[in-house]
Amino acid sequence: MRRNKITKSACIAIFTTILMLQPLAEATAQYKEKDNYGKTPRELIPYGRYQDAYVKHFLEPQPFTGAGRDKKPPSDLTEVRIGLLAPLEGDVLVPQGIQMMQGATLAMEEANKRGGYKGLPFTLIPHNDVGLWGAAANEVVKMSDEGVWAFLGTIDDINSHVALRVALKVELFMVNTGDPDPTYTETGIPWTIRCISDDRQSSYALVDYIYKQKGYKRVAVLRANNRYGRVGVMEFRDAALRVGSPIVLEVRYEVGEIDFDTQLERIRNSNPDAVVLWGNALETGLVLNRMREMGMDHAVFASDRAVNPQFLEVAGKNANGVVSTCQYNPNADHPPLKAFKQNYSERFGMEADVFAAHAYDGMNLIIEAIRKAGLNKALIRDLLSDLKTFQGYQGVTGEIIFDASWNDIGPIFMAEVKDGAFTFSPTSTE
Amino acid sequence: MKNTLVFSILSLFLPALLLGSEPEKKNESMPEYGNWKTFTKKDGLPADKVYCVRVDEERTWVGTSHGLALYENGEWTTFTTEDGLAHPGVLAIDVSEMTGDVWIGTLGGLNRYSAGKFETFTQFNSGLPNDVIYSVVCDEKDVWVATGGGAGHYDTYKEDWEIYTEKNAPMHEPWTYSVCAGDEKIFIAAWGGGVIEYQTETGQFRDYVDPDGEMEIDLFPDDGVVHDITTAVSHANGILWVATYFGMSRYDGTQWKGYFDHDSGLASNFINFLKANGDVVWLCTDEGLSSFNGTQWITYKKSGTGGNLIYFNENGTSTKPAPTGISHNFVIGVDFQEDEIWVATSQGLSHGTRIK
Repeated sequence: MRRNKITKSACIAIFTTILMLQPLAEATAQYKEKDNYGKTPRELIPYGRYQDAYVKHFLEPQPFTGAGRDKKPPSDLTEVRIGLLAPLEGDVLVPQGIQMMQGATLAMEEANKRGGYKGLPFTLIPHNDVGLWGAAANEVVKMSDEGVWAFLGTIDDINSHVALRVALKVELFMVNTGDPDPTYTETGIPWTIRCISDDRQSSYALVDYIYKQKGYKRVAVLRANNRYGRVGVMEFRDAALRVGSPIVLEVRYEVGEIDFDTQLERIRNSNPDAVVLWGNALETGLVLNRMREMGMDHAVFASDRAVNPQFLEVAGKNANGVVSTCQYNPNADHPPLKAFKQNYSERFGMEADVFAAHAYDGMNLIIEAIRKAGLNKALIRDLLSDLKTFQGYQGVTGEIIFDASWNDIGPIFMAEVKDGAFTFSPTSTE
Repeated sequence: MKNTLVFSILSLFLPALLLGSEPEKKNESMPEYGNWKTFTKKDGLPADKVYCVRVDEERTWVGTSHGLALYENGEWTTFTTEDGLAHPGVLAIDVSEMTGDVWIGTLGGLNRYSAGKFETFTQFNSGLPNDVIYSVVCDEKDVWVATGGGAGHYDTYKEDWEIYTEKNAPMHEPWTYSVCAGDEKIFIAAWGGGVIEYQTETGQFRDYVDPDGEMEIDLFPDDGVVHDITTAVSHANGILWVATYFGMSRYDGTQWKGYFDHDSGLASNFINFLKANGDVVWLCTDEGLSSFNGTQWITYKKSGTGGNLIYFNENGTSTKPAPTGISHNFVIGVDFQEDEIWVATSQGLSHGTRIK
């Protein structure tokens, strides 16, 4: 009798609540999803199991409604300048920055052989983004002052963010080919595209591989204590939690550190069955070596920066079995990629890496946009971001597919070290 | 009975908890502006692209992409790097009420214009965090700047700089975009870090971030700042207004409320700048200039050679054509004094007068 009474009372109250919440339901109904942002699997949508978000961003491209499209091109040009923002001096990322510059240079040289822009040569204007206190911001201003029409950049995510804000102010389009920070395009600034997949895609692929395909349950993370490590792991951590296996421990090291024993002892004590390393190639190799020396024979997975000759060199035999992700398949049977690799090797005397290949594609996008739009920054922006002209672009890195935030959500690959070399295979999420 | 009471109380308060509180209804009439006049290069501006405007009694300072301009007694005077301007791109201007000095934030450093002379502060000759100055505000003897390398505080008495970054303030990163002063506090729009509040008396910080912790959604509109990518802050009459590229937030010291283009009169969620004037906040969006007094919205848009006023309140939306309008719908800055308003846009500077 008592139970019936409570149930009846509860029903009345719940019905009242539902009536009062009706306006909220109507408001949220306007925002039914058209598509999942960032190819997010349904089970990984933030709060998706519990609450429909009031507003979902990045499902439509942000237009640029400012002026400038009627500005006439200058008549006294002797060259067409395109900027490059990259770590070129004084940083651990300089080797990657050099690769980036060389990839861009190769694309530009090839374009100039084809006649440049209406007979004018394209010229690369490189700027080093390394420095204290937002040096990248000052460098983008300099590029704008120097008369560049668009620019390529960069790798470090702090510098990418800083540069992007200035790009909006000076209205200079930035094609990002080296920074996988998901938040870069989540700023909503309509003056950029990114033609390299981000850590969101890498994390989804890794989580699927580690937990679903390999069946690991207890995963610990050791990451670089920088923005690359923090933001990259953020997506991995969230995805792991949402598939029901929160990471058991997350510990950090400083970039340049060589003694990892304290962190590794903590990881061993957390009793994981797999370890994820998120950092630069050098530290990832050093950590892996120390793990094996300490008798830690856990399965090891790594972030995309491990897919680098330096990691293989440092880790040696220990590298075998390590699985990571790569934003393209460097060994693909893809004629444009093969030609690029050969031309690059002949031109620079070294093998192209992921930063070179994506910079090559990014520079070709800028050159093509200038050729089609002419020398007008707003029109170059319009073309690069219209999600039509370059949608499905076939670069040497494969097909580039942009989502509404201009992020590249094209296919990525699993990269596993076998016999001292990386082998690549499609992800199961593709 | 006890259970019924609990459920009934829940029924009463749950919607309020989820929807947040409405701002207190204001009785003041919503100001309305018209008689728009546009200024461009043809009229004496250094450039058509106008980043900012600051009114100082009879003088109007204007920052453009190619220099600083001063409008006084119906005439324009321009200042360039040859005059001592740190960089032609002038992003922010404020005037010290204490000294009358004009502080100018450029793409290449900070200027103080005093007694007819420019003094330049850069990263290399001072404690300025970075040379790209997005915002500057004078708070008595103190000058605050928001830069790409952190927030900077200059004590004009001690001639001493302090820098606030993620190392010594609750920011995720050192990137700052806007700064304002009010109620003995400094508010900093921290790119990716929401809003940072600094109490000038105690030196204590507090941060306000989007509680859902996700960039791609806003889970609840009234649970905090609507997005962590904040672009501008303004404080007036005890209310903090926060602009983002994803909507606007209002904070009365106890509760937040979010506003979006789909559920309010906000012209667009992409807000370049905002400034509060008494009870009314002015929002510079990429789709026009919106104003809001807590209950009513009016948006000013260019339409052909004239303009449109778009009214929005609880009864719905209506549009009234006007013979004049703002010069462009991509609005970047605004300032006002008494019955006059100045609007910086992507293509020209507009001046209007109060008509209602």
